[in-house]
Amino acid sequence: MKLIKSIVRPNKVDEVKDALAKLNIAGMTVTEVRGHGKQKGHTAIYRGKEYNVSLLPKMEIEVVVADAVADDVVKAIVTAARTGEIGDGRVFVLPVLESYRIRTGEREA
Amino acid sequence: MRETSVTQTGATGRTLAASLGAAREELRTDIARGAGGRTALERYSDRADVLLRQLFTEAPAPKTPVAVLALGGYGRRHLSLHSDIDLLILFGGTIGATEEAFLRAFLHPLWDVGVVVGHQVRELREFEQLETDNPEFLLALIDARPLAGARQLFDRFSAIFHTASTHAFILRSLLDLIDQRHAGFNDTLYQLEPDVKEAPGALRDLSATRTIALLTDPLLLRKGPTEPARFDDAEDFLLRVRSILHLEAGRNQNVLGHDLQERTAELMGYPGAEAQQRVERLMSDYFRHARIVNRSLGWARRTAPLPVGPNLGLSRDGIRFMDPIQAARNPASWLPAFQAAVEHHATVSEEALSCIQQHVDRYRADDFFPEASDRAALVAFLRPARGLYDRLSEMHDCGLLGRVFPEFQAISWRVVRDFYHKYTVDEHTLLTIRNLERLTGDVKGGRQRFANVLAGLAAPELLVLSLLLHDVGKWRDDDHADESERMAEAALARLQITGAARDTVTFLIRHHIRMSLVAFRRDTEDPDVVKSFAAFIGTEDRLKLLTLLTLADVGAVSPDTLTPWKEELLWRLYVDTYNHLTQRYGDERIERNQAGLDRLTVALPADVTKTELERFVEGLPQRYLHLFAPAAIHEHVRLARNIKPDEVHVSLERVDAAVWSLAVVTLDKPKLFSNICGVLSSFGMNILRGNALTNPNGLVLDVFHFTDDEHFLEKNPDAPARISEVLADVVAGRIDVAARLRGRERGVQSKSSIRFPPVVRVSNESSSRYTILDIVAPNALGLLHRISRVIAEHRCDVDLVLIATEGGKAIDVFHLTQRGAKLTEAEQLALTSDLQRTLEEIR
Repeated sequence: MKLIKSIVRPNKVDEVKDALAKLNIAGMTVTEVRGHGKQKGHTAIYRGKEYNVSLLPKMEIEVVVADAVADDVVKAIVTAARTGEIGDGRVFVLPVLESYRIRTGEREA
Repeated sequence: MRETSVTQTGATGRTLAASLGAAREELRTDIARGAGGRTALERYSDRADVLLRQLFTEAPAPKTPVAVLALGGYGRRHLSLHSDIDLLILFGGTIGATEEAFLRAFLHPLWDVGVVVGHQVRELREFEQLETDNPEFLLALIDARPLAGARQLFDRFSAIFHTASTHAFILRSLLDLIDQRHAGFNDTLYQLEPDVKEAPGALRDLSATRTIALLTDPLLLRKGPTEPARFDDAEDFLLRVRSILHLEAGRNQNVLGHDLQERTAELMGYPGAEAQQRVERLMSDYFRHARIVNRSLGWARRTAPLPVGPNLGLSRDGIRFMDPIQAARNPASWLPAFQAAVEHHATVSEEALSCIQQHVDRYRADDFFPEASDRAALVAFLRPARGLYDRLSEMHDCGLLGRVFPEFQAISWRVVRDFYHKYTVDEHTLLTIRNLERLTGDVKGGRQRFANVLAGLAAPELLVLSLLLHDVGKWRDDDHADESERMAEAALARLQITGAARDTVTFLIRHHIRMSLVAFRRDTEDPDVVKSFAAFIGTEDRLKLLTLLTLADVGAVSPDTLTPWKEELLWRLYVDTYNHLTQRYGDERIERNQAGLDRLTVALPADVTKTELERFVEGLPQRYLHLFAPAAIHEHVRLARNIKPDEVHVSLERVDAAVWSLAVVTLDKPKLFSNICGVLSSFGMNILRGNALTNPNGLVLDVFHFTDDEHFLEKNPDAPARISEVLADVVAGRIDVAARLRGRERGVQSKSSIRFPPVVRVSNESSSRYTILDIVAPNALGLLHRISRVIAEHRCDVDLVLIATEGGKAIDVFHLTQRGAKLTEAEQLALTSDLQRTLEEIR
């Protein structure tokens, strides 16, 4: 199993969700996050004063998928979340050692 | 004539002396048998009334109406044996020779027979201004009783004098006077030699207790710790003692000293073999009565409502109707109760809420605001302030809100099931207002930036009105925004809110979801998204309103919906759109035949042709179409007609009670903007906001909104013509505006109301055509003139200006060029440096 963690633009969440649904990936966790990547934010100006906007609002989407579909899921996320501009985000793939269903205590493969 | 008068006065004097002597003798007899209490003093007062009426009748009638009023103790019919006779002689008009003759004829006989008259002579108009430096006189007026003369004059005096604000002032003064008086007695009533008039628990306290009730709640004493009969007994006892003191001392003596206690006890018939026993019984009774008075006064002070409006009082349990029966019959008096509660940071009392709840179904919406002033008060009540949510909730709970706004009643307890909302629709709506209210006062953290936006709104009450009505369409299950707008239009029509205010409210309601969709669901880093949103919103004012509405609305969905993350997204969209509106609007010009001009040409006035209008607007910034209503644009077209070099066409009109609007059309020339601002400042006008626009043909349209703090326009009927003449002279170079301003500018420098370091920023990146100059500085009279004079001295062309004021802060954006191009870096630096220096001087 793989944990696929993606940081995307807030307005791309729906498109990513739709793309994942097409791969029959139903369960996911979406979190509002703030951070910066290489761009390290930017300078904003309001009424003549400059403000350094270092932490940008992003969405984090986490899904746990079978190893066999992980590549397809990553591709789907990248395709759906891409605009081609700086600030499109990142996708991380992490191994998952074990998974348990809390209601039943059952261990999942 | 003089001799006759003297003879008559002499005869009157003899009659008067005899009558007064008889009345005094009668009172002395009563006092000597220990019966100099209330009944005897009332009889003596009545005798004095008769004598004074006789004198009034015999005095020569003045030209102006006159009334004689009994004041203080005499007004209460408690005239003691050696008390002064306190009178107010009130004239309906100016006091002249005939009035003075009346005064002499009325007063001199009294003085001749040795009556001490404490008289005040006033013209009625003097009561239009409250005499705050003489609270004792105001207190005496509370007991004013008409003795003789024009009854209508007394009624007119009563109408002027008995107002809520006067009562509130008198009440506060009375409480201060009581404290001062008690301090003189070491704050204890247990005096071995008590002053039966002044001491704690004595006659003045008794009278004060009654006055407090009279000023606040006439039924107060019936609810107090003491039965009214015991209170009356105490009064009778104290008056009897006082009468004996006057009799024994032969003067206005009120201290029950050791030397008089035995005689007083004897005259009042106290039993006891020894004088000491009789005195002890007398003093025991005195303290018992004084304690009753003291206790009642203390209770009245704690309980009495403070008058805060017509039939409204502030008491411990909140705002009350002084007279619930009268309130029940007057629904227009209900909203002021909630208004007073907000102003005094109080609740509305349960008693008042019950009264409203009991009667509210009898009235229709219009009954609550029958007059224009009632409608204005309702709208003003909606200004965001601490406590507004609680008061609106009280109004809702007692049924008033749903009656005032039947549209709101449609969503009462309405349940709409969706994944996000946690509250009924009505409560969600009220919570949006609470969110807005929480942006007032001391706001910390990330919300401070939104609080600053709210503080800068010219009419925040329209935002609250929009919030109140934004979801009323949810009584239906389908798309609610259109239905909300339809229903809101009915409410706005009832409140007679029209024009720009009406358009703002319907715009906000129709589009209340739009900004959250763009902020949270669109890529706001895409300049096209911001550009499109800016085009939709049109003006900074609407942007500010919709931003705050969105913040308040999202925050009222559930406790978790408005996260700091969403706030950040919303704020960024606000800033990007604000910058687009203020800095890039010069890049987008109106083109002939473009979409959007239809609304101007559809209802074209007879005297304006389509071609003329298109020629006028072509090349002006796109936002011109958002900033002005069609009627205003048509007027600008008229002003621009046949304009020639050095001519100035002007239109001046009043926007509201405080604000005026001046539109100036002329042809562009150096220093024009600076000169126009200078002329306004030279007349003492304080420029609040405005727009300066130039079209490619060199036609200039400047529109200013300003306040006339020195009331020049009100005081001088020819003021508009004079301003117009001076403008023409200055623009044509016939008058030097700097010379006109020289005197004023010395004063101007001290007129900055707030202090903060001014911000000057010049940028060539924001606009494709212009160098953008942003200035944020403490506002001051003449500021705009001084800034634009510096710009003109740098030979910059001012093509567009946005002028705004928020509180004491001036926010101006200039679109500049020099010789048709943007400023170079060196030119920017030189301009910035000079502007900084000028702004520092003004600070």
